[in-house]
Amino acid sequence: MFGKFWYVISALVVLMLVVSACAPMPAQPAAQPTEAPAAGAAEPAAEQVTLTWAFWGSPEEAVSHKQVADAFMKVHPEIKVETWNEPWDNYFTKIQALWASGDSKTIPDIAFLWPTPKYAAEGVLENLDPYIEKTGYNLDDYWPGLLESAKYDGSVYGLPRDIEANILYYNKDLFDKANVEYPDADWTWDDLVAAAEKLTVKDAGGKTTQYALAMENNGKYDKWVNQNGGGILDDMRNPSKCALADPKSVEAVAFFADMLAKGYAMRDADINQAGGDAGAFQSGQAAMIIQNTSRVSAFNTANMKYDVAVVPIPEGGKRYNPAGGAAWVMSAKSDNKDAAWTFLSWLQSADGGEKLYLERGEIFPALQSLAKSPAFMTEQPPANKQAIIDEAAASGVGTFGYFPEWDELNGSIIQPGLDRIWTGEVQAADALPALCEQVDQFLKDNGFPKQ
Amino acid sequence: MTAPAAPTRRSPFRWRTDQQWEGYLFILPSLLGFAVFVFLAVGASLGISFLDWGLTGSKGFAGLANYREMLRDPVFWRACTNTLFYIVTIVPLQLGLGLLMALALNQAIRGTEFFRMVYFLPVVTAIVAGAIVFRILLARNGPLADVVSGLGRLLKLPLSLPDLLASTRYSKWSVVLLTLWKNTGFTMVVYLAALQGVPRELYDAAHVDGAGAWQRLRNVTIPLISPTTFFLFILQTVGAFQLFTEPFVMTNGGPAQSSMPIVQYIYLNAFRYTRMGKASAIAWFLFIFIFGFTLIQNRMQRRWVHYEAE
Repeated sequence: MFGKFWYVISALVVLMLVVSACAPMPAQPAAQPTEAPAAGAAEPAAEQVTLTWAFWGSPEEAVSHKQVADAFMKVHPEIKVETWNEPWDNYFTKIQALWASGDSKTIPDIAFLWPTPKYAAEGVLENLDPYIEKTGYNLDDYWPGLLESAKYDGSVYGLPRDIEANILYYNKDLFDKANVEYPDADWTWDDLVAAAEKLTVKDAGGKTTQYALAMENNGKYDKWVNQNGGGILDDMRNPSKCALADPKSVEAVAFFADMLAKGYAMRDADINQAGGDAGAFQSGQAAMIIQNTSRVSAFNTANMKYDVAVVPIPEGGKRYNPAGGAAWVMSAKSDNKDAAWTFLSWLQSADGGEKLYLERGEIFPALQSLAKSPAFMTEQPPANKQAIIDEAAASGVGTFGYFPEWDELNGSIIQPGLDRIWTGEVQAADALPALCEQVDQFLKDNGFPKQ
Repeated sequence: MTAPAAPTRRSPFRWRTDQQWEGYLFILPSLLGFAVFVFLAVGASLGISFLDWGLTGSKGFAGLANYREMLRDPVFWRACTNTLFYIVTIVPLQLGLGLLMALALNQAIRGTEFFRMVYFLPVVTAIVAGAIVFRILLARNGPLADVVSGLGRLLKLPLSLPDLLASTRYSKWSVVLLTLWKNTGFTMVVYLAALQGVPRELYDAAHVDGAGAWQRLRNVTIPLISPTTFFLFILQTVGAFQLFTEPFVMTNGGPAQSSMPIVQYIYLNAFRYTRMGKASAIAWFLFIFIFGFTLIQNRMQRRWVHYEAE
């Protein structure tokens, strides 16, 4: 038995050596993409140029992207647009693998991407400045601060499709039942807490059965921090230090941690269990949610009695909305850059792709003129659309770091550090200075601030 | 299953060659796949661990910088501590519980087949599905919490379930719980097979010598199944080193990285932060650690593993 065992092992080793000696060594080690070239690499017809257009999303979303592509090809018959799509989970890994291959035939010419600055820093994206200048494309129509999320080193590398305008949704029935007045633009944090106290219902054991507020991603805490005049880093483009230990930031983090501790606001784990904030809101488990406009169509379909309002701000604070949204970008490896720009600028024009997406109810547009047009100001609920426009107008930089190391800094240090505050295990005032020390160390190790 | 004692060694050069080639042909397809997708990839990762590579950007030679950064990284050490915690809890618990279940089901009583099947079911259940069900079960407002607080009301005791998933104190324990549920059935089945291989006459002899049930277990059963224990010990330890899916699905390593094992940190570095070099460095550190550990265990087995003479 023993002999046989070694027989097999030696056979394996010998064959492995033989095989690996014969196998041609790849030019680059590892992570070779195994994908076949993007959808049917048919050679373009005589004068027609073919572009590959990449996006993520569900099959339903893919359908609407394809309709947008069809509409474009009607206007520009000389350009053929082929689509490439993957679910969100795999999208980024696969598209990076394609870039790593360096093969312009398989790399999509136009892609939907987030976060743009990170990829721009890696050199895989085309600088759009020359095209913008050449064609006189209007950048002023974007919401304030929004283009920052698509800029790297002062140049525009992407055109954001939409903007996250976070608003307060409230369930009118639950407000009526608790005899609380509907929120309006004058509400402060104190009003929010006072309303939350009345809207929260607990059982005999002290367990909350109806929450006042459900807010995903740990209350999007950066909104509270920025409203209060605090910040995450002193400069989100090229930081030199952490700003979370500033008294204004500490106060804002403590404000939301307190809402959680008192059982007014739902914890992330509980929101997940309720099927996300939309599920919690529709089932009446939460009287209010703070979220972007993506929930509108679901609530309208469910025929809910709801409206929206601007998010309450602290006394003496200011409105703040994170200026971020995924953007259309052009690959630096594209073989047809001029055609790609034609498509890109058509996608982001008030009578092109942007309008089609808006009409399908999928986005809150990145272009101000479109948001203020009849295409957005419809008769459909929510009634208070002005609140959405007011929040979008208050967009600014302060939620994401616009440098390549941000994902690691946020995922590895900042979010885990805040986790301990949200669970109530430590107090904001005690934990944030220590967290900031770690952030500062990370910044120092990675050579920030950069020149 | 049990590494047998070496009787005689034959020189590899005296093997008959006439029967070898068809053997190679049979294993060639999977061997080719292995060579390309495992052997080459593993070799490449060693090279990558000395590079500064963000997948799409340029590759620069980094020397030992990735290893140095790894050793200085507090999150890496936190992940190491978590993995060690999983090893020292999961491995003994799994062996102990598996043995107990096997002993119970090795009795000549009715319904053992049914229970064997029930205990083995989790092993063949998809782990992601299991993790999602556990996430619902163990949630702060989940069914288990309701049962516990209901029981408390019934007994008029202030009973309540702690927040198993979302507190840094207990999150690791919920991962342990899920892993035990998933894997103990396998341990049990392997132990059952081993128990049935223990010769009846040894028990009879021990019985005649006046050994009680405990002494029979202590002095007959446990030594005789020690090769199986050794096999399971190595297997489960390596499995615990490589723990990933359970915490990834159930707690996503949180809160505050309190349940994040080292493999998840490798994953994050490679595919979320696109730090291929650092991820490869950690992977090789893990490999060397597992390799060393298994080697030491192999040496140590002489002291406590008894092989029956063939």
